Amino acid sequence: MTRINLVLLLAVVASAIYLVNIQYESRRLFTELHKAQNEERRLESEFERLQVEKRAQATSARVDKLAREKLQMRLVQPSITTYVNYTHTDSTPSDRVATGAVGMASNVAGARP
Amino acid sequence: MSRSVRYTSSPLLASRTPVWRSKFVVAAIALAFGGLAARAAYIQVYANDFFQRQGEVRFARTLELPANRGRILDRNGLILASSVVAPSIWAIPDDVDAEGEKPKLQKLAKLLDMPYTELAKKLAEDKTFVWVKRQVDADIAKEIAALDIKGIYQRKEYKRQYPEGEAAAHIVGFTNVEDNGQEGVELLYNQRLLGKPGMRHVIKDRLGRAVEDRGEIVPPVDGQDIQLSVDSKVQFFAYEKIKAAVLAQRAQAGSVVVLDAVTGEVLALANYPSYVPDKRHNLTGAQLRNRALTDTFEPGSVMKPFTVGMGLDSGRIKPGTVIDTAPGSWNITGVTIHDAHPHGALTVQQVIQVSSNVGTAKIAMQMPPSDMWETFSKAGFGQKPQIEFPGVVSGRLRPYAKWRPIEQATMSYGYGLSASLFQMVRSYTVFSHDGQVIPATLLKTSEPAVGVTVFSASTAAEIRKMLQMAAGPGGTGPKAQTQGYSVGGKSGTAYKQQGKGYGSDGNRKYRSWFVGMAPIDKPRLIVGVMLDEPTAGRYYGGDVAAPVFSETVQQTLRMMNVQPDIAVRPNIVASAVEESF
Repeated sequence: MTRINLVLLLAVVASAIYLVNIQYESRRLFTELHKAQNEERRLESEFERLQVEKRAQATSARVDKLAREKLQMRLVQPSITTYVNYTHTDSTPSDRVATGAVGMASNVAGARP
Repeated sequence: MSRSVRYTSSPLLASRTPVWRSKFVVAAIALAFGGLAARAAYIQVYANDFFQRQGEVRFARTLELPANRGRILDRNGLILASSVVAPSIWAIPDDVDAEGEKPKLQKLAKLLDMPYTELAKKLAEDKTFVWVKRQVDADIAKEIAALDIKGIYQRKEYKRQYPEGEAAAHIVGFTNVEDNGQEGVELLYNQRLLGKPGMRHVIKDRLGRAVEDRGEIVPPVDGQDIQLSVDSKVQFFAYEKIKAAVLAQRAQAGSVVVLDAVTGEVLALANYPSYVPDKRHNLTGAQLRNRALTDTFEPGSVMKPFTVGMGLDSGRIKPGTVIDTAPGSWNITGVTIHDAHPHGALTVQQVIQVSSNVGTAKIAMQMPPSDMWETFSKAGFGQKPQIEFPGVVSGRLRPYAKWRPIEQATMSYGYGLSASLFQMVRSYTVFSHDGQVIPATLLKTSEPAVGVTVFSASTAAEIRKMLQMAAGPGGTGPKAQTQGYSVGGKSGTAYKQQGKGYGSDGNRKYRSWFVGMAPIDKPRLIVGVMLDEPTAGRYYGGDVAAPVFSETVQQTLRMMNVQPDIAVRPNIVASAVEESF
């Protein structure tokens, strides 16, 4: 009888210690998780900030200014643009070989000045 | 042999203790247990709430999970407005050692871009709490944190950033320091942009670390992103052009609106003067006003195509019908109306081309006022604005029952009623969209708009022809011409009201308009330009507003990859390969 009691006592003590340990571990992990979540939020907002910064570096106003002043560029005019008409046609491979040259020629002809 | 006493017969034991003593001890112990039980019952049952609360006050914390305000994007997904972290710097002045840490405080003042004296003044304002500077850049905040000054703290806050700056300021608007929309789209869609902050209850330990969740977590809901129909490139370009024109013409202000003629989307809406949304010191009302939407004016000649369209639709006139406008003036019930230049006999097409007031009035007087009112109303004049925007106005169109004949005549060429530039531009969809006026929208859409029929498709096509003539050689707005794209449009030059009249000759103030579309056969764009009080010598809409139209159309159509519909003399010079020696 005494032996059983002794075993049971030991078991209780062991389980109690184990419980305390688990509790401690769970709190520690929770803190870690919490920290990680905060870090996630921080990184997210940092990402957003950098995105906005990137965008601010690439606004039309800035690109326009740099292109004009630094690179001496000017706006495209239709007079210096060649418009190429691309008409999509379904054709079998053999057809394509046969009409390839013609198609190209007509494309050139169809292109606007 | 000594006498010994046997232990069991010790006289001490033999003496009888009173029974009450043991009973007393038992009772005392029972009482003690009773007391404990009562106390336990008190704590666990009766005063449970109190103790629970006290425990929570000491360890439980409610953390707010902030939600992000949604972004505002342009039609290509580029950011027009977004919230970024911008910590606010605050201090407990009592804890700041002003003498011992002077070098550090001086560095702080320098980082915050304020004189040291101002910083010192701020720290003297209060003893327990003072904002040193709200919403500083994240990089600067990091450096401040690195200084590690006692009594100076940071609080995480968010700040709106507007990469497009002043070009899109009037559309996008801005928020206040509490992140609430104050103007423009920020105000209009404030509810959608705002997120819903979440919440979680945690238990914190002695060191302030969260160690356990309690109860359910309410996750934060971020605000929605709003995608506008605006194209930031077109917006920038339109803004640059109107800005240049206002400065060159020494005008008070100017506005430009670019509308997609197929879907009714607003591609650009710019005003000058403008402001930089995230640097709003010394803002004036003139800078803040979104004139294209909130200011109404008498449109002047820009209204004429509507009058002529009505005439064509009713069958009373044909494009070739000849109308005698000589001698350049016409007397209606005692009041004389004039043309800027006398013209003689004009066809209906020419009336629009040379913008004859007399001709337009003669067409208008053939029609009942009720028809005119109905057509103008259908086109949106004097109507509740169909687009929602802070400060948007409906303009003015009085009920036809009160019109006098002279008023009907002047209204036919745009005096006696008022509209905003935006209303004007939208009403021109009648001509671009086969006689239907379509709803305009600030939000991106991909579906073609469904409109309300005002004119027949053939009338709209005829008017487009006339608009093309008006913007061509011999018209009032040849400066609207572009390279490669056929355009059509109507210029307008209206006297500004000064008090009750329009000022006397030599002292007049003008408002110059141009509203047109391109390419004229199948319009993709409608562009409206308005300049307020040009004072650099020229003031005709065809002179000052049409060039802005031309440049805006040219660049916008190119950006939309629209192929030129009229032949362009090529100017491509193939560079010859240098011959080698």
